Amino acid sequence: MAAALRPAILRHLRIPAQAQSLTVDPSAPILSSFMNRIRSMSSHGDEHLTHEEVVDRVIDVVKSYPKVDPSKVTPQVHFQKDLGLDSLDTVEIVMALEEEFKLEIPDKEADKIDSCPLAIEYISNHPMAA
Amino acid sequence: MDRASVLSSMASAAATAVAASPSRAEALSLLRSLLRTASKFNDYNVREYIKRRSLDAFRENKSLSDPSSLASAFSDGKAQLEVAKRQEVVYSLYAPKVKSIMEIKKL
Repeated sequence: MAAALRPAILRHLRIPAQAQSLTVDPSAPILSSFMNRIRSMSSHGDEHLTHEEVVDRVIDVVKSYPKVDPSKVTPQVHFQKDLGLDSLDTVEIVMALEEEFKLEIPDKEADKIDSCPLAIEYISNHPMAA
Repeated sequence: MDRASVLSSMASAAATAVAASPSRAEALSLLRSLLRTASKFNDYNVREYIKRRSLDAFRENKSLSDPSSLASAFSDGKAQLEVAKRQEVVYSLYAPKVKSIMEIKKL
């Protein structure tokens, strides 16, 4: 969707080459804020996960784990202390998170993820999360 | 190629080396490798089976405490991991003709 937006934007913006400067031009506040928000030349893809989205999806994954009581799941829960899971369940949940966000988490990092806040933090900071 | 042959090859895969008793991190790492190998399969049934079977086996052996049975369970697990990795290569040669209904229906 954003890929179709890009040529439309470029068609409408005709910026003379010599007018480009790194300082913010006070006479064109709309243009600079617009360009800052849309990474039109980004080859990485335009889906950048918002923190909200990460939290929601992590909660969904944890709630859909069969051994978990969905009513107890909040963004602050600790898997073993609050949800009564064991380390094997934690490994399973981390694997489910890897599948959900299409990541591959190395063992050293995965061992540290034992609660929702840590999972949300790791995924939010991961550049490849989808 | 089917589940029976995988099982029989698992049964006959004898653990030759006697490994030292695994640390907790090593055991969890083995479980992770098994689950990761499972997710590479393109056949839904085998994928789910490997995940289910490895989790069941780990849970069953969770309460073991004596080092020799821990070591033998760990080396069994490693042998199964090798089997799964080989089978993944074989299965990848033949893509399934039809997608399993479980993969299409997003509940």
